[in-house]
Amino acid sequence: MSSQLRILENEVQIAALLFMAVVYVVRLAWIFRFKSRKENTFPAGSEAAGIGYSMMNIAMPWAMESTRKRPLFYAQFVIFHLGVAAAISATFIIPYAPGLFRIPAAVRLFQAIIGAACLVGVTRLVRRLTVPAIRLISTVDDYLSLLLMIFFLAAGVLAVPNDTAKGEGPLILFFALTAFFLVYVPFSKICHYLYYPFTRYFLGRTMGHRGTLPPKGGRGSGTRPGLTTEKGEAR
Amino acid sequence: MKRKRVAASGIVDAPLETKSQDKARQEGIASLAGGRLKAYDPGADNVGKFLELLGRRISRPLAVSMTACVHCGMCAESCHYFLARPDDPTMTPVYKADQIRRVFKRHIDWTGRLVPWWVHAESPRTDEDLNRLKNVVFGACSACRRCTLNCPMGVDTALLVRFTRGLLTELGIVPEGVFNVSRDEWETGNQMAVTEEDFLETLQWMKDELQAELGTTAVDIPVDRPDCDVLYTLNPREIKFDPRSIANAAKVFHIAGERWTLPKWGWDQTNFGLFSGDDNLGAYVARNVYEAAVRLRAKKIVISECGHGYRSTRWEGYNWAGYAQNLPTESVVVTLERYLREGRIQVDPARNVLPVTFHDSCNIARSGDLVEEPRRVLRAVCADFREMHPNGRENFCCTGGGGLLSMAEYRPLRLEVAKIKAEQLKATGAKLVCTMCHNCIDGLNDVIKHYGLDMKVVQVLDLVSSALVIPRGDSGEARGPR
Repeated sequence: MSSQLRILENEVQIAALLFMAVVYVVRLAWIFRFKSRKENTFPAGSEAAGIGYSMMNIAMPWAMESTRKRPLFYAQFVIFHLGVAAAISATFIIPYAPGLFRIPAAVRLFQAIIGAACLVGVTRLVRRLTVPAIRLISTVDDYLSLLLMIFFLAAGVLAVPNDTAKGEGPLILFFALTAFFLVYVPFSKICHYLYYPFTRYFLGRTMGHRGTLPPKGGRGSGTRPGLTTEKGEAR
Repeated sequence: MKRKRVAASGIVDAPLETKSQDKARQEGIASLAGGRLKAYDPGADNVGKFLELLGRRISRPLAVSMTACVHCGMCAESCHYFLARPDDPTMTPVYKADQIRRVFKRHIDWTGRLVPWWVHAESPRTDEDLNRLKNVVFGACSACRRCTLNCPMGVDTALLVRFTRGLLTELGIVPEGVFNVSRDEWETGNQMAVTEEDFLETLQWMKDELQAELGTTAVDIPVDRPDCDVLYTLNPREIKFDPRSIANAAKVFHIAGERWTLPKWGWDQTNFGLFSGDDNLGAYVARNVYEAAVRLRAKKIVISECGHGYRSTRWEGYNWAGYAQNLPTESVVVTLERYLREGRIQVDPARNVLPVTFHDSCNIARSGDLVEEPRRVLRAVCADFREMHPNGRENFCCTGGGGLLSMAEYRPLRLEVAKIKAEQLKATGAKLVCTMCHNCIDGLNDVIKHYGLDMKVVQVLDLVSSALVIPRGDSGEARGPR
C-alpha cells in the first residue's frame, strides 16, 4: 500500500470525520436554539408510545398508506440505505479490519448490497429527472447528493475487495469520495438522518399525547373489530 | 420570487381583495383600531415584516420540518389536490411547503444563506410575491394533515402551512373571507356575528318546539346556569342555520338526566384562529370558552359536533392561550357514547334504516383522537352502517377544511379536487353520510351537489335523536320514527 493511500484511509478520514462531528454539534445547537412549546392539555394517549411508534415508522411499511401502496418503492428505500450502511462500514473495515474482506463470501455480499443500492440510486435519479412533480421540487443539492451517492456506491463495489496488488485506483477513489462526503454531508440534504429523530419525536409526541398514534385500530383504519356486538350495540 | 410556469391551477394569480378591509378601516372597528385584527397596508414594508416575523416565530418543531424534507415526493399521492390534478406538479404538498421552506432556507438555514441557488433558497421581493404565497397556503391546501402522516421523515407540512398563514394574516394579506370571519370573531366573540338577542331567541324557539314535541315543560335549554356537570358549547352555524341540532342535544341531555347549561358568553367553540394561523385570535376565542366554564363552575366542557371546533377547544386552544387545562373537555359524541354505554339513553336502530356511512373529520381523526367513538354510536343507532375507504386517520378531507368554505375565490379548484371525495362517497352506496363536523356538512353538501350524488348529510346527533326511545312518563308515549 502506498503512503498516500494509507494517509487517505486514516488521517484524512479521521480529520474529515472530526470536521463532520463538529459541524453536527453546531447544527444540533442551532436546532435547540429554536424554542419548543409546553403542552397544556390533558393527555388522551401516551407521548412515549407515540414517540416510539413514530420513530419506528421507518421499519413499518404497513403504517403509512404511502409505503403500503408502493411496496417496491419501500423496498428500494431499504436496499438503498442498507447499501449506504454497507459502504460506510467498508470505510472502517478496510483500514481497521481488513481480514474480513479476505473472505470471498463477505466481499461478494458487500458488493451485492452496495451494487444493488447503486442501481436503486440510478433509478431514483431517473425518477427525479423524468417525473414532473419531482423535477419541479428538485434542487442542485438533490441532484448532486444523489449523483455523489451513486459514485460513492459504485466506488464501494470496486473498493471492497481491498486488493491493492491490482491497483490502488478504486481505493483512492472510494476514500477520496468518503472524505469529500464527510465534509459535504452536513451542508446537504444527506444529513436528513440528523433531523429524522427530531421530526419523528415531535410528531410522535403530539400525536401520542392526543391518542392519534399509535393508531387504536391498527393500520390507520377507523374500525377495530370487537368493539361492537354483532347486533351493533355499543359495548 | 421568480415563478416557474407549469401546468398550474391558476389560483396562484388570484389578486388580493381588500374591499372588506377598507370598509372595516373606514368604520374604525375596535379590533382593527386596537391592533388585534390586521389589515393590509400597501405602503408598509410587508416583506421586511414577513421576514422579521418568520425569524421571530419559528419554533423547534417548525424548524426541523423546514429542514428535514428530502424531496422524495412520497407525500404527493396522499393529497387529494394532487390526486385530482396529477398533471399539475404544483399540487404536491412538498411543492406547497417549499414555497415557505425556500424563504426559511434563504434567511435562516445555513446552505441557503451562503449558496441560495444550490437549494432553491429564495426571498420574497414584493407584496405580489406574498400574495402568491397566500394563494398557495390558503387556496391549494385544506391543511388536512394527510401528507404529514404519510411522510417518511415525519415532516409536518400542515403545520408549515398554518404557520405561513399566520405570518400573512399579520400583514392582512389574506383572502377576504378569512378577514371577515376573523373580524366577526374578534368583534362579537363568535364567527358568525350572532348577537346575544339572536342567540337567546333561537334557544327559546328550540325550547318551545322541544317542549311541544315531548309534551312536557320539564325539558329546558338552560343558559348561564351555575354548578352544572356539563357546559355545552356550540358552533354558531347551529344558531344561524341548524338550530335543530341544539334541540337534539337538549333532548338527549334531558332524557339522560344531565345537568347542563349553555353559557351566554363563551359559547362559540369554533375558532378561526386555527385556519388563519392567528394564535392570538385562537387564544382569545378559546379562553372565552374556558373562562365561561370557570365562571359557571361547570365540571366539564362538552363540544358540539364540529371538527375544527373540537381540535381548537380540546387541543390547540389551551396551548394558544397558555392556559393549563383544568377541566375535562370532550366532544358530544363521546358524551353520547357514554350515555349509551351506561344505559342513560335507549335507542332503536330500526328507526334509522337507510344505509349510513361515516366521514371522519380531519381535525378529529387525524389531528385529534376520535375514530372509534363515533362508530360505536353509529353502530348502536343505525341498522345499516358501512365504512367508506379509506377511513379513520386515512380519510380524505371533505374538501371544505382549512377554512376554505369561507374563501370564495378558491371554490372552483376546491370543487375540482373534490372528485376524490365524491368517488369515495359514491363507492359506499350509502344514502346518508354522517359526519361530526359542521364544516364537513357544508363541504360534503357542496361535493354531493356538484357531483350529483344521491346522498344526504347528517350528524351523529341527528341519528341518535331519530333512534332515541323516549321513556314513557316523560312525553306520555314512546316516540315513533320521524
